[in-house]
Formats: sequence, C-alpha cells, structure tokens
Amino acid sequence: MNGFGADLAIATRLARRELRAGVRGFRIFLACLALGVAAIAGIGSLGTAVREGLRADARKILGGDVAVRLIHRDASPAEQAWLRRNATVSQAADLRAMAYTTGGETGQRSRALVELKGVDGLWPLYGSAAVDGGPAGHDRIAALLAARNGVYGVLVDPVLPIRLGVAIGDRLRIGGQSFEIRGLLTGEPDRGTRLIKLGPRVLVSRAGLDATGLVRTGSLIYFHYRLKLPPGADAAAFASRLKTALPKAGWRVRSLGEASPGARQFLARITLYLTLVGLTALLVGGLGVANGVRAWLDGRIATIATFKCLGASARIVFLTYLIQVLVLAFAGIALGLTAGAILPALLAGAVESILPVTLRLGIYPAPLAVAALFGLLTALAFSLWAIARAREVPPAMLFRQTVSAIEGRPRRIYALATGLLVAALAALAILTAADPFIALIFIGGCAGAFLLFRGMAWLVARAAAGLSDPARAIRRGPNLRLALANIHRPGAPTASVILSLGLGATVLVAIALIQGNLMDQVRRQMPDRAPAFFFIDILPDQVARFDTAVKNTDGVSRATRMPMVRARIARLNGVPAAVAAVHPDARWATRNERGLTYAANLPEGSRLIAGKWWPADYRGPPLVSFDAELARGMGLGVGDTITFNVLGREITATIANLRRIQWRTVGMNFTVIFAPGTLENAPHSHIAAVYARPDSENRLLAAVNGALPNVSGVRVRDALSAAAGLLENIGVALRSTALVTLVAGLLVLAGAIAAGHRRRVYDAVVLKVLGATRWRVLRAFLLEYGLLGLVTAAIAAILGAVVAWAVLTLAMRSPWTFLPATAIGTALLCLAVMLLFGFVGTWQAMRQKPAALLRNE
Amino acid sequence: MIELSNIHLRLPSLAGEVHILRGIDFSLDAGAAAALVGPSGSGKSTMMMVLAGLERPSEGTVAVAGQELTAMNEDTLAVFRRDTIGIVFQNFHLVPTMTALENVAMPLEFAGRADAFDMAKDGLAQVGLSHRLTHYPAQLSGGEQQRVALARACAARPRLILADEPTGNLDGDTGTAVMDLLFHMRDELDITLLLITHDPVLAERCGRIVRMADGRIADHGLAPAVAAE
Repeated sequence: MNGFGADLAIATRLARRELRAGVRGFRIFLACLALGVAAIAGIGSLGTAVREGLRADARKILGGDVAVRLIHRDASPAEQAWLRRNATVSQAADLRAMAYTTGGETGQRSRALVELKGVDGLWPLYGSAAVDGGPAGHDRIAALLAARNGVYGVLVDPVLPIRLGVAIGDRLRIGGQSFEIRGLLTGEPDRGTRLIKLGPRVLVSRAGLDATGLVRTGSLIYFHYRLKLPPGADAAAFASRLKTALPKAGWRVRSLGEASPGARQFLARITLYLTLVGLTALLVGGLGVANGVRAWLDGRIATIATFKCLGASARIVFLTYLIQVLVLAFAGIALGLTAGAILPALLAGAVESILPVTLRLGIYPAPLAVAALFGLLTALAFSLWAIARAREVPPAMLFRQTVSAIEGRPRRIYALATGLLVAALAALAILTAADPFIALIFIGGCAGAFLLFRGMAWLVARAAAGLSDPARAIRRGPNLRLALANIHRPGAPTASVILSLGLGATVLVAIALIQGNLMDQVRRQMPDRAPAFFFIDILPDQVARFDTAVKNTDGVSRATRMPMVRARIARLNGVPAAVAAVHPDARWATRNERGLTYAANLPEGSRLIAGKWWPADYRGPPLVSFDAELARGMGLGVGDTITFNVLGREITATIANLRRIQWRTVGMNFTVIFAPGTLENAPHSHIAAVYARPDSENRLLAAVNGALPNVSGVRVRDALSAAAGLLENIGVALRSTALVTLVAGLLVLAGAIAAGHRRRVYDAVVLKVLGATRWRVLRAFLLEYGLLGLVTAAIAAILGAVVAWAVLTLAMRSPWTFLPATAIGTALLCLAVMLLFGFVGTWQAMRQKPAALLRNE
Repeated sequence: MIELSNIHLRLPSLAGEVHILRGIDFSLDAGAAAALVGPSGSGKSTMMMVLAGLERPSEGTVAVAGQELTAMNEDTLAVFRRDTIGIVFQNFHLVPTMTALENVAMPLEFAGRADAFDMAKDGLAQVGLSHRLTHYPAQLSGGEQQRVALARACAARPRLILADEPTGNLDGDTGTAVMDLLFHMRDELDITLLLITHDPVLAERCGRIVRMADGRIADHGLAPAVAAE
C-alpha cells in the first residue's frame, strides 16, 4: 500500500492530466462560485472602504481632535475658560430656522426652512470648506461672512437660491437680521453623517447668528466647541480628562475614535444585511456547485472505474477529484475576488452621493479573505458528498453496458465531514457578522427554507408521480403525461430547480415586500395621518400668539402643542450612562440628547403597560413616564431612577410608569414625560404639530412666520420624502444584491437544463419520429417548466411574505400589509424567467435532426 | 493459475433475488488460454468480474496465482489487480483526457514505478504505436485504441489477462490484427489468458473452450482443432 504522500503525488498528476481537458463541464460551477464570492467580497470591500474613509476623515468629520456639544445653552464662562486653557477652540452653533427673501420690487416674500450654522473665525479647524466649487480655509470663510457696511455675509447651499429665486449678491433675512449672499457653500468638512437633512445649509458668522436674535437659552440650538490639541496629545485621554474636570456640564464629548458612531452603526447594519443576502446568493450558488460536480463526476464514471481496474485505490480516486474541484474552486474564488475588489471603485460615485464620506479605495485583504473562505467552504461543503460517492464507484461497472449516474451514500466519515463543513460555514457567517444574533436567525432561516423547499420538491415529485398513474394519466394527453413524467422520473432536477430558484425568488419577494411596506408607510399611510407641519422653537411667551395664528388660519383641522426641552441621560440608577449596561439597540438613546416634555395627562398615541399615571395636580418629587421598549433595553423598570442633565443641571426622577408608544403615527411622541412640577421653570420652548389641508399649508406657514419670525416650520411632507429617498437608496442596494441571488438561482437552472439536454434531445427526437409536431413537443416541455415554475413561484410568494412579515413586525416593529401585486408580480417574474430558460433549452433540443441522432444511437 | 470452487453469486433486484452464478468449478493452468463462450446472460462477464476481484461471490472461493481473493479487502484487491491482472475491454475504456502514453503508464504509476513512462513507451512500441505516444484516444482509430488498451493491460507484466470481447467493437481485419498482437504478447510474456468471445474462430485459437449457460459451466474442454491434433 502506498503512503499518503505517494497517493497524493499520483492523484496530483492524474488531476493535472484531467484538467487539461478544460473547464467545459465547470462553467456553471465557476459562475456560481464567482458570483457568490464577488457579492460577499464586494460588499465587504465597499463597507471597509467607507469605514476607512470615515476613519481617515475623522478629524474633518468631527471638526477637531475633540468635539464638545451642548444643547439649549452656550458653555458657561468657566467651562469656556477651561477649554481655552487646554486647547485651541473653534465655536459654532447650529439650529433650524426660516430664511426669507426680502421681497424685492414686488414685495412678495419666499421662505424656506434652513439648517443655519454660525461659525467663528477659526472654522474649519481641520480641512477646508468649498465655496463656489473651490477650497476655502478659515480666513477666506471669515472674510466672506464678515459684516460689510453693516451687512453680514452668508454662504448658502446651491439648492437655496433655486428654491427661493435669489442669486449671489441678493439679500436674505433670517430672524431679525438681513444677510447678503456672498457665495455658494459646496462643501462642508464637518457636515456630519446624518442621512436626512430637513433644509439646505446656510452658513453665517457667529456674530451674524447672534444678531438674528434666534439664540436664546431654551431654543433648540446645538452649541459646538471643536478643540485642536497640542501636537502629540492623546484625544481620548483628553476627552476623559474633560469629562472628569467638568462632570456636570452635560455636554456630549467625542474624540477622534468616536467620530460618526451613528453612521458606523448604520453602515455595520446595512453591510450585515447585504452580506447575508450575498451569502444567500453563495448558498444558492452552492447548489449549482453541487449539481455541477455531480454531473461532471457522473460523466467520469467510466474513467473512475478504469482507474480502479488499473489498480488505483479509492483514496487516489478521491484525491484526484478533490484536487480538481479545489483547483477550479480557487479559480472561481479568484474571479469572484477580482470582481469584488473592483466593486467599490465602480460604486464610489453612487455611494458618495448618499453617504457624506469619501471612500478610501484600495485592496482590503480582510474582507477578501473572508469572502475567499466563504467560497472555499461552500465549494467543499457542496461537492464533498459527490466526490466521496465517486470514490465508491465499483470498477465492475466497466463490464456493464449501461454506465448511469453515481448513486448511493458516501461513507459515514465523508457525510460527517460534509456536516462539519456546513457547520463551519454557519460559524463563519455568525463570527464575521456585526450582529451575530441576526446572523444566527439567518442561518436558521436558511436551513428552514432549504428543508421546506426540499420537502416541497419531494411533494411536487410525488404529486406528479400520482398524477402519472397509468390508469388515470391516459386521459391527460401526451403533453401533460410527458411533463409530469419529466418532473418525477429518477434523476429529474426537480429538487435542485425548486430549491435554487425558490430561494432566490423568496429573497427577492421578501425584500420587495419589506421595501414596499416601508415605502407605503412613508409615502401613503403616514401622510394621511401625519400633520402638515411641526413648528419648533415656540418660546413660552409666544405660545398665545402662535395658538391665535394657527386658529385663525382656514383649513387647519387640529393642532397639538407641547413643551419641550432636550436633555442628555446622565445616569441610570445612579450609574453613569456611558458605563451602564445598556443593550446595543438602546445605546442610541444615551448617545445624544432626548426630547423631554411634561404633561398632566397620558397623551394620545401612548398606552400604559406598567405602573400608574400621576394625578393631574401632582406636585411631588420628580416622576417620569418612560418608553417601555427603551426601558427594557436599559434594564429599567418602574421605581428605578434616571438622571437627566437639563441645561447643565442634573435632575433625578423616578420612573412612575412605562408606556408603549405608537411611533408610526407621526404625531408628537416623547420617550420621556415628566410629571408636572419639575420642568416648568427650566428654559424651554414648545413644539407644535398642526394638521391642515394641503391647500392651506402655505397660508399657515405665512401666518405663523408673520407673527413669529423665529419659529421654524418643518413641512412633514418634505421630511417624509427625504426619508423615502433614503429608503429608496437602501432598497436599491438590497434589491441589487437580491438580484445576485436570483442570478445564482438562474445559473443553477441553466445548469440543470444543460445537464438534462441530452435526455431532452433524445425525447424530442423520439417524439418527432413518432409523428409529434414541433409545437406539440415544445408544449410538453414548456408545460413541465410552467408547472415547476408555478409551484416554485407560489411557494416563494408565500415564504417571501412570511419572511417580510417576520422582519417587519418582529424585528422592525412596523405595521405589515400584504401587497399582493408586489408579491405576485415578483413571483411571476421568476416564473417568466423559468419559462424563458426552458424555452431556450428546449428550442436547442428541437433543432436536432432525428436522423443524425438515430444513426449515432 | 485460476481456481474457482463452487462459486455462487446472488444479487438482489426489485423483482427478487437473482441467482447469477450457480456453482462454478473451474481451473486454468498458468500460461494456458481459454475462451469463455455462451449466450448473453449466461454469466460470462460476471464470472470474469469474480476472477478480477471486482465482484465478491456469495459462496465459494476464488484463487488467482495462488492468492485467495475473497479474503482481500478492496484496496488490497486493487493492488493485487495492478500487479497480477491485466484487463482488456470491448469498449477499450481509455481515459479520454490522457494521451496514449499516459494511459499505458497509469498502472505503472499506481505501482510507484519510477520508470513508468519508459516502460509505457516500450509497451506502445510493442503494439506498433511509437508514433502515437502523445495522441489522445479521440485522435486514434478503434484498432489503435484497442492496441493502447492492450499495451496498458500488459504494461505491468501481469500473470493473467482477462479480455471481455476485445474485438467486439472492431472490424474483422482490425480485430484479427489485434488478436494476433494479444496472442503474440501472451506467448512472449508467458501470460495466462481468459477471453470472452462470440467469435468461434477466436475461441478455437485459445485452445480451450468453456461454454456457459444459465450461470453454470455447461461444457468445458479442448477446442475441436486442438483435440484433433
């Protein structure tokens, strides 16, 4: 007996000789593997390029080495003094405000909600802004914004002049101050990574902003302090020193490593979903790999038997074919990695138009290595079974005239190895996922879908066999008989076709339904129930004038107004929020300021689920009503305490009750409601939701702004279309990846059709010889594909709907509506594709001349 | 050289167990040649498979070159075949992705012979195919393919050649030429030969004829011409 090394050497030589014949039988194998690997490598590389972009631009995005933010109030002189003692400080403030044209000759005024930012002479501390398409450092910006002849300058987003019908040199009024438009702001280094903007950016000097009269304590204003540290200083250490030195300031402090955590989390989430969809494509492709290897080995039976007759051991046979599969798998993986590596460069423009980041393009080994490992495990997991069966091919086959397919089960050790490879694939998916729990659910879902489709395929084949019962089938006519027989005959590709195309179609239906539901919410359902405007920054002394202006406007059906102050959560049960045990899903609430209100009665849109609501005349120690979902994420319950930092003062309140909030009503919902008696005296403003007929919206805005120029009106329709736009972009990304899954399914289908081509040609020839017309033969084959396609499409529509329902209601807690047109349309598309493929495959069979084939037979 | 004793082979089938070989007793001396003849389904190929260790009998013992095959495991059988038995098929069964030289060298490579290719070249020279070393099976005629198969079967200097209708796919003249070659090599290398054939002339040429019917040896003796001599 030869040793393993000698067997390996022989097997390598044999494999090399066999591979000289080319990759003819391996095109589908290569395409399936390359496609799946390309999807995963591309998504991983793109995610890394974006992340690296964020990291490289962190200083610019953050605006400094350390960024400090306060809401409602400017830093106190003592706080400012500490900052200036320790770093170079650039100050800015931003808020939403209304910008007006000054009327001109006609006196007609246009207005728009803008995102107003007031900057000092050092802005930007890092990087440069872009004005009129060219870079502009802080000196130029300061010069452009400075007062000339008593008029401050303003730089505006290029959209604003179009919206308001103004040009450079024209005047713009914001609050109580008039500004001269001195240029177009085309780039802003610290623009932030928020994905939805409610208005175009308007940049003024800090002095100009103060002159508007909009900066009042309690208004919804963010005050930013960007710090430039001495060379060599450690930003993270400085940030923690700052937090320790001024613990009561209630500001948000971020150092370089924490730039844009929200964007990073969003990116991680979207990358995870895209990767999982890509993985589905790879798994579907795995079926193509399995079918390809099986068909290829079936064609090698005589060779394998010959090897054995000539004295090759089973191990040599196994190694010979394993080496060939590995070589081809590496080729497929290399193709996929190449495509995946260049994907970020192809998509850079599109991504940069959505995400405020410059991609750092390059070859990133980590995502490529992960994709390669996924590809290798898939190739092995889906081919080992077939190779192990080929190992058992009896050499006696050479003495029999009919050499058919390789059948039977492989040895237990190989079945075990296949199981281990599948487990390794699942483990890799879980270990490399940003959220292992979601990956685990995905793995479970995939396994369930595999079993379900496999079971369905078995049922379909059984049903076809039942319908083919000779006693009954005689009445069904030859076309249907042939179609049914093709579905259930031994070796029919029914299972792999239903499984592969079914999985692809299910993913597509699910994504179409999820996106359809979200869009439906944003575009159709929400506006029906949503207010026309949210008005913000209504100061307490303006409340009466605001109510009057709203009441006197025709077309207003309803208005609700609530006081609001934004505050940071400082402690949970006395433990600083930054270190408290908070679930990652609830961490967002501790990162930024939350809107607080106070109310005597339970507001509409909320349902009490624990504790008791306070009496309307309550005047005791601070109590709060808290969002039940968030409380669970923070591990809080009734009786626990939360400490808020409200304008630099810490207020500790006891949770009196928990509410379930209906967020999708787009009304005014607050996660935190204080009992009366605590917040009334803190500087705050009011926010109002006003419901009005679409034709009276402009009148309403004019009436409110006429009376109160500082009050900003956010048009809900605009905000919803911004959200819809974002959803559309995410949907395009998801749908594109899902299409890869469908393409993988089609490749498997194409492979199955190709594998059955010889039999199909033979059937067609025999039928033609017996007098069947070409149309009759074509109908029989199309009927077979139609039946398979119809069953697959129906199952995919149902399963896709179940997946979409689960994701929407269980994971996203969003309402669910079955959209029959979307589900059925997507499923029918799959059916049409299957018929098309069937037609192409059959047409080639039909063109075969009977005489040529019969002579050869 | 060959000792079959009370060989029975029963195989399961959908229609019930099939009794293919029904008590075969047969022996053949080293260096002798015999033809296995009989109608289709009489068990000729199965008997040959049993002799090659490709099929295990349900009952009985098989000894080839003094080795008891029924006691060997699959890998030991593979090695035994490689060193002792050469097989020639009706359909040649050359590996289509390998050249003539590689096909012939294969059993020698399996045996770990460093001079595999030199021996293979000699083997092909013996069958008159020195000019076809780098040709693939598809580039060879039927007669040439069978000559390559013959060279391959004899490459490892086997002591027994089993040939299953080796001329079945060849025309008369080519078949005769190939058989001349087979008998020439048998004489040259002193190989025992067992040949399945439907061709009475070829059967005569073997000297001994074993007639099979219904899984049994119906008749066994010297060919008439030989007997007459």
